[in-house]
Amino acid sequence: MAIIIEKKTKTIVQGITGQNASLHTKFMLAYGTQIVGGVTPGKGGQNVEGVIVYDTVKECLTEHPDAHVSSVWVPPRFAKDAILEAIDAGIKTVVVITERIPIHDMLSVRRVAKEKDVMVIGGNTPGLISPGKALVGMLPKIAFRQGRIGTVARSGAVTYYVANALNLAGLGESTSVGLGGDPILGANFEDILRLFEHDEETDAVVMAGEIGGVYEELAAPYVKEMCKPVIAFIAGKGAPQGKRLGHAGAIIEGNMGTAKGKIEALKGNGALIAETLSEIPALVKRTLKK
Amino acid sequence: MRLYEYEAKEIFRRYSIPVLDGVVVDDAHFDELDKVTYPVVIKAQVFFGGRGKAGLVKTAKHRTEAEGKIKEMMAKKHGQYVIEKVLVEKKIAFEKELYLAATIDRLMHRPLIMASSKGGIEIEDVARQEPHKILKYYFNLGDNLNDFKARNIAHEIGLTGPLLSSGAAVILNMFNLFTGLDCKLVEINPLVCTKEGTLFAIDAKVDLDEDAMFRHPQLKDMGIVARHEIGELTEREKIAKAKGIPYVDLDGDIGVFPGGAGFGIAAIDLINHYGGKPANFMDSGGAPTQDKLRAMLGLLIDNPQVRAIFGARFGGISRCDDWAKAVVHYVLENKPEKPMIMRMAGNMEEAGRKIIEQAKKEHPDLFRHIKIYAYDTPIEEVIKETIRVARDYGDGSH
Repeated sequence: MAIIIEKKTKTIVQGITGQNASLHTKFMLAYGTQIVGGVTPGKGGQNVEGVIVYDTVKECLTEHPDAHVSSVWVPPRFAKDAILEAIDAGIKTVVVITERIPIHDMLSVRRVAKEKDVMVIGGNTPGLISPGKALVGMLPKIAFRQGRIGTVARSGAVTYYVANALNLAGLGESTSVGLGGDPILGANFEDILRLFEHDEETDAVVMAGEIGGVYEELAAPYVKEMCKPVIAFIAGKGAPQGKRLGHAGAIIEGNMGTAKGKIEALKGNGALIAETLSEIPALVKRTLKK
Repeated sequence: MRLYEYEAKEIFRRYSIPVLDGVVVDDAHFDELDKVTYPVVIKAQVFFGGRGKAGLVKTAKHRTEAEGKIKEMMAKKHGQYVIEKVLVEKKIAFEKELYLAATIDRLMHRPLIMASSKGGIEIEDVARQEPHKILKYYFNLGDNLNDFKARNIAHEIGLTGPLLSSGAAVILNMFNLFTGLDCKLVEINPLVCTKEGTLFAIDAKVDLDEDAMFRHPQLKDMGIVARHEIGELTEREKIAKAKGIPYVDLDGDIGVFPGGAGFGIAAIDLINHYGGKPANFMDSGGAPTQDKLRAMLGLLIDNPQVRAIFGARFGGISRCDDWAKAVVHYVLENKPEKPMIMRMAGNMEEAGRKIIEQAKKEHPDLFRHIKIYAYDTPIEEVIKETIRVARDYGDGSH
């Protein structure tokens, strides 16, 4: 199965006429991803790499009612509207490549997505890949190999290096998901861990987090509930400390956000902690032998 | 994006949140001190907390004393920072300190107002020991805050009589500021109440969302642009900021040219883990332009403490060919002597590899210190080699 995307998944590309989107449309198609349409308001009727461009997501989905996944590549000021347009038209998974989306916009998006039971991944995500099956986003295919390890990471390049480390040790990925680097995200670690836990093609999960935010801590209690092993790599032990402004953050979050706090929360709930990238495959192999 | 207190208070004025009369003084404008009523409170304009304990809040009875104390404050270094501006405000007596804030609860992903009758610097202790004394009111963006809600909040933190409506007005105005300017935080601590029954925001904290500034061109008219944090940056950080490069100085000898911020953070840990010392944090991801990539390399190479560069490009949205072009261009133009140990893999790798090979063939001498590994070399091997090379590079006398 893999999670979220597989061979038969039909996808659309919002903002397809942009420079990055059209280049990566080419790469996605070459990988085998089914892209049934693109959307750029005002450019309906054009085509990009053989993909028909529509003016609205609604029109695109009228023609292709079986498309359930969209990737969003529009500039940040249009991102909220594009995501809401996708949700309104009936898209079930929105993969938001756009980075630096205003925080208040993402809070509004999250609320609507929750109401409509839509998964929004990102913003600032490199996307996701089920190796050998489908790729939505801009991840370099060379970093991934089909296998039975699920990976989920905050940052793009860390997503690639984690898979790279697994592959160099002879392992591969069922699906690799980039959560995104923006401060307020749609899907978080727990959402993806839940999918991997129930995916029959996944034997173990690697999660790679970093300082800042609270998503790693929030996922920790679920790690304890899981049957599958979780290996965690948390970056930021040596990172310069951000200067805190005001007391409000501390009132709500206490000491969350530090690398140490995240590692302790995950370790305390049964995750194995990898200190380096090369330790990741070693720990994965150890848990699978059991 | 954090604002200085004087900037936050200027915004407060525009949103009708009551603040004291005051002037901003820097070392070229001491005549501003003629415009205030003495005695005054002098507050250094810095971001770090605990200003009082650090001797950065002082009182003065008259102008001469004020000028002396300001000069003294500005003459000293406070940690690594120099005070460039102070805010001078009329000193007032007050009876009560309250706490008000509007911010985002990242655990719940919802904005909220927090209020407490126990304001002041101990508010975090209140949060720990008597959490029920901090009222939390969650709301949705796009909703209005009704007057009666604002009155309820004011009432719950003990404001009654004429203070009920003036307190509710402050809460409403703070809400309007938070939602109107895309804030991450608005904090008033303390909001004080004078014997005469007037409220004043004694301190003001505003944290704006840099990514939403495009919606608020009026901030530019107030001199609030994305670059104003410069007062508290090191020299190299200032140069980086001016060029739009996310960069933080660390104390080591390995220049880190990592790709995206996430791996930038991981690379620092990995270098430390293998016994090296990173010289910086940098974000060189997100498809930077050629000019920016070259500026990034320059920033690292020009740092006299740096003895070797660790570079990595795992091309996703940032293409390997763009990266290779920038590296080659930089090397041909600047002929760096410091070793650069790098790895390039990912999107457009083949095109990137051709660019590098071609340049190496034409200028073997310039590239003799430069190694660019490919996909099959684990990144940690590249890091270890950089650490070795940095050690061998000698004492920096090259």
